[in-house]
Amino acid sequence: MPSWRLPESTVARMHRKARADRWAVSVDDFAAVLERSIAKAFTSEPDMREIDRYLSSLHLEDLALACACASGHDGAWEHFVREHRPVLYRAADAIDSSGGSRELADSLYGELFGLVERDGVRRSLFAYFHGRSSLSTWLRAILAQRHVDRVRHTRRFEALPDEEDSMPVRSDAHRHQPSGYIELMRRTVTVVVAALAARDRLRLAYYYAQDLTLAQIGRALGEHEATVSRNIARARREVRTGVEVRLRDDEHMSAAEIEECFAAVLEDVGSLDVSDLLGTPQDELDPATGETGRRKGAARKRSKDRPEGASA
Amino acid sequence: MPDRDRDQSVEHVLRRVLSDSRSVLPPSACIDGEILAAWNSGSLPAEQAAAVERHVADCARCQAMMAAFVQMEPVAQTSESVWRRWRLGWLVPLATAATAAALWIALPGNSALPTPVDTASRSAVLEPQSPTADAVQSPTPTAAARSEAPPPALAQERFDARAGNEARKQLEESLSRQRAEDQLAGAGVGAPPPPAAAAPAESAEADRRELAANATARTFAARVSAVLPEIVAPGGAARWRIVNGRQVERSTSAGAEWMPVTIDPPDLLIAGAATSPSVCWIVGRRGAVYLTTDGSRFVRLPFPEPADLVSVAASDDRTVTVSSLDGRSWQTADQGRTWSVLP
Repeated sequence: MPSWRLPESTVARMHRKARADRWAVSVDDFAAVLERSIAKAFTSEPDMREIDRYLSSLHLEDLALACACASGHDGAWEHFVREHRPVLYRAADAIDSSGGSRELADSLYGELFGLVERDGVRRSLFAYFHGRSSLSTWLRAILAQRHVDRVRHTRRFEALPDEEDSMPVRSDAHRHQPSGYIELMRRTVTVVVAALAARDRLRLAYYYAQDLTLAQIGRALGEHEATVSRNIARARREVRTGVEVRLRDDEHMSAAEIEECFAAVLEDVGSLDVSDLLGTPQDELDPATGETGRRKGAARKRSKDRPEGASA
Repeated sequence: MPDRDRDQSVEHVLRRVLSDSRSVLPPSACIDGEILAAWNSGSLPAEQAAAVERHVADCARCQAMMAAFVQMEPVAQTSESVWRRWRLGWLVPLATAATAAALWIALPGNSALPTPVDTASRSAVLEPQSPTADAVQSPTPTAAARSEAPPPALAQERFDARAGNEARKQLEESLSRQRAEDQLAGAGVGAPPPPAAAAPAESAEADRRELAANATARTFAARVSAVLPEIVAPGGAARWRIVNGRQVERSTSAGAEWMPVTIDPPDLLIAGAATSPSVCWIVGRRGAVYLTTDGSRFVRLPFPEPADLVSVAASDDRTVTVSSLDGRSWQTADQGRTWSVLP
């Protein structure tokens, strides 16, 4: 907790804006919540102008509701169950229509209620809500975090040898070696992608690794769908030209060899499916069999969306 | 090998490289749900938002978390989170946009692969498009191109009541910035893929010709980026949109074509709801409540207070509930002749 305290007038004003007395949240309790939120947001002690601006941006009513729920106010809980529990379930169903994530949602609900005790004290997950987003957005984010962590935990990720430990490939070993071309392309694309701007890497990752639609990517990044589309096309073009330049200048490949390099990837898509070997973020625990496998949605999309002969 | 095939080759490798789990950063560097929610809501300071973005760009775990979060997000509510994001941290400096545009211009021509378009089939990425079709499709996805489920029958636009005037001003500023960004970056909008026999478009002169040829598409793209989310009537074909806060346009073709409608005198308009292809309510500043029953002509209805109205929910052409920035709500069941304050 910070060593400073918010002025009483500021707390009183925020308390009124939050309509915190609706849930019988005391001014002192609300002050503690606000101060915790400020401590989370600022690494150094902010001045009052920054504090005022920050507090005005908070979802104060949601913060008051969370504070009341954390202290067990019946009316607040009734309101939360009515308004937000359906949100949790809908969100859970959205990522797993078989109902597998409902258990996650129920577990989260239990933690919000404060079923978990530490040192004899009931602790609610609401203590981690700081009002920087709406309560429903925060709930979805927590559920997303739990979902992904559960998937990754059950995937039994195993470390793989670093690339340096494997047999080194001589710089000219790729010549006349299609299998060498594939590894070379992989390495070269990795280097070129790493040099892209973070936002471009993010767009490409969302599109190619996470299988999000353009609209979903737009929502994630705050961009119009058309902007996402244009930028992905531009980034993809940058990667292609970057690869061509590197193959020409760094690998000293001729135009014909560069052509073969690109062609080798197209001809040998199967062996390049490293994701099957490593496991990808899309792998999920199949509730029916207990085995990991491709995300059903992604598999459906791929089989439905790809024309015959197109890349998988 | 044509550029299209090379792009396809790159796509194969991208898919593998970006899915490589070895890209995961140590868990201690990962973001938690609260940071994710704040980031999505645009509440992080610019510096922190940029740091989060840099981390997520390279972290498979956090990307998966964001992907799951976005998939959970109800479409009807996304207008709130998208537009709140304009407040902080997501504003692209003009210099960066100019740099992106310069990079665009410097690149040799357009990819032989068409610009990605969301359709029911994402394989549109690999499908060749005719120049004309591309010029029309690129700026705005058509109805056929939309992959989103149709919005709910009672379309309800929400604007975050807590954002207040500050957010509204920042929304207007960010709309201007986005228009500038799209105008600068829109060099290739609608640009058709070059024919196989064309000389590489590497020269600046070729780029200038290309830019001139796409002027209409650029203007259109910039204009599109300045609109709030659409107000869609049940059925999806009829919809309206608020442009620059003061104009309203209507489409009867699910967004393929738009025409301005009469709304006079216009005030700053913020939200709307449509209950049928011809009935649409729009609300805005200073007690502005507008209604159309023929789809085209909006009439301003009397409202008891000059409150800034930011939310509207309607069931037909007589009954509507509106809410103000300060959280108050009113309802009418007689097309605005009388209003009652809701508790």
